[in-house]
Amino acid sequence: MAQAHSTFRKDGIGATAAIQAQQVDSSAEGHRRRLNRTRNRLFAEATVRFALLLLLWFLLSYFLRPEMPFYSLRVGAMLGLFVLLPGLLYATLAFKEAKLALTDLRAFSQLTREDISRMLASRTAVCTEIHDSSPYIDVMHSQIGDSLAESEVEVLKVIEQIGILNAKSNEQRAHIAQSIRSSRELTENTRLRGDSNKQTIEAIETHLTTQTDEFRKNFDRIRGLAEEIAELNPFIQVITSIAQQTSLLALNAEIEAAHAGEAGHGFAVVANEVRQLAVSSTKAGADMAAKIRVTRRRVEEEMELAHLSLQRHEANNAMQKMVEDLCHMQSEFARNSQLLLDVISQVDTNYEESVNRLSEALGHIQFQDVMRQRLEHVQEALMEMSDHLHQLSESLDDKTWEGQLDSTFKSILGAHLGRYKMASQTQTHLAIAGGSIDHDNSRPAIELF
Amino acid sequence: MAATILIVDDSATMIMSLKATLTLNGFMVETANSGQAALDKLKTGIKPNLILTDINMPGMGGLELIGKLRALPPCRFIPILTLTTESETTKRDEAKRLGATGWLVKPLAGAELVKVIKRVLPGT
Repeated sequence: MAQAHSTFRKDGIGATAAIQAQQVDSSAEGHRRRLNRTRNRLFAEATVRFALLLLLWFLLSYFLRPEMPFYSLRVGAMLGLFVLLPGLLYATLAFKEAKLALTDLRAFSQLTREDISRMLASRTAVCTEIHDSSPYIDVMHSQIGDSLAESEVEVLKVIEQIGILNAKSNEQRAHIAQSIRSSRELTENTRLRGDSNKQTIEAIETHLTTQTDEFRKNFDRIRGLAEEIAELNPFIQVITSIAQQTSLLALNAEIEAAHAGEAGHGFAVVANEVRQLAVSSTKAGADMAAKIRVTRRRVEEEMELAHLSLQRHEANNAMQKMVEDLCHMQSEFARNSQLLLDVISQVDTNYEESVNRLSEALGHIQFQDVMRQRLEHVQEALMEMSDHLHQLSESLDDKTWEGQLDSTFKSILGAHLGRYKMASQTQTHLAIAGGSIDHDNSRPAIELF
Repeated sequence: MAATILIVDDSATMIMSLKATLTLNGFMVETANSGQAALDKLKTGIKPNLILTDINMPGMGGLELIGKLRALPPCRFIPILTLTTESETTKRDEAKRLGATGWLVKPLAGAELVKVIKRVLPGT
């Protein structure tokens, strides 16, 4: 596409050059005639000047003869100094100028039709190019403007999204703050409840321990009593044995009293009383043994009950374990509450970090405004370039133009130095084009007065 | 109560980004896109704690705005910070002479901006 365009342009320029070549060809003879006339006139002017100077010289020589008065000699010297010498210089310069002009004319006359045609075609091409640069610059100007507008729209969308994110974050932060407050209250309540429960649990533990000790002491006392009762059994056997021996002794005494006849009658009465005492003792021993057995059985039953109670009470250690578990659970709960608080606090810290990073991101978005201002300056510069090229194009079209320019690219570029707003623009300019500025750009980015 | 900051800038990007930055950091924000719009806004009864203005704006620029604000009794003591790309020291000195509180050069990181504002408005 670009190549086709280039070919088309070359063809167009070639056609224009051919037309101009024909024009040149038709007027070439006229130019040569004018050239010859100019050359002849220049030679004639130079010859006349030399002739005039020679005439002046002869006149001075005439007045400077030896017979002339001394005054005339001085006048002649003055004339020589102020008239003849400048005249000679002027004539020399005029001659040199005429010689240069003749050289140029001679060189011009030596140009072929093709040379002139090529020069005119080049000039036409340059004019056309300069003229065509205007829409090119306009397009580039618009491209920059459109890009700026688009980037601004997109950046605004980004900021809008950040704004939404910001709003959501604020809601989230409110929730986090509420969670922190709730967690702190929960932790504090748990701690207070824990302290209260701990005291209750300690009291229960103390009570349980005291009760267990009492149960154990009671059991020990009953067991001691049972053992003491058991220790009565030998005494019952001794009593029974004594009663049996007493009964046997009474029987023997009755037998002996019978052998003694009448004399043993009183002894028989005693023996009979002794035998009855033995019977009573045996009966009392049996009764005592029965009573002791009953008592022992009851004590053993009580001991059994006491043992069961003790066992049951000791089994209540499970409850103590439950209390311990409760304590453990409570401490775990308190620990987890603190952990939850820590996690929420960490989330809050991370949120703050996010806020800082969002602030940083928003700060960086300011680059769009900085870029906009720099590109707007470039747009202005493009318009200046367009105006300058337009002026140049008009000047080239002007046949009387002698090559003088009101402004040049160099002067236009130099004028930018005073119009930059940013230090970075000035730095870029100075790095590429050189030059210096008369104000200090080194003041800090933040300055509080 | 959160401090109110009036942002004056002709760039929508700047207004939006500054508003988001300051809102994010707990400030209340009012905006105006020119010096005249800022004066009109102040006439409605808004009392900002600080004014953050650009310098180069179409119509009434930042320097002219500072001069007019300092001539208004209610705004005589409101801190005014400039936030601009302008690097010319004569304008900076002119802003100082007119009564600006400080001069900030764009682009300025959000944290830096908030730090400066908190320094100018202690307790915010």
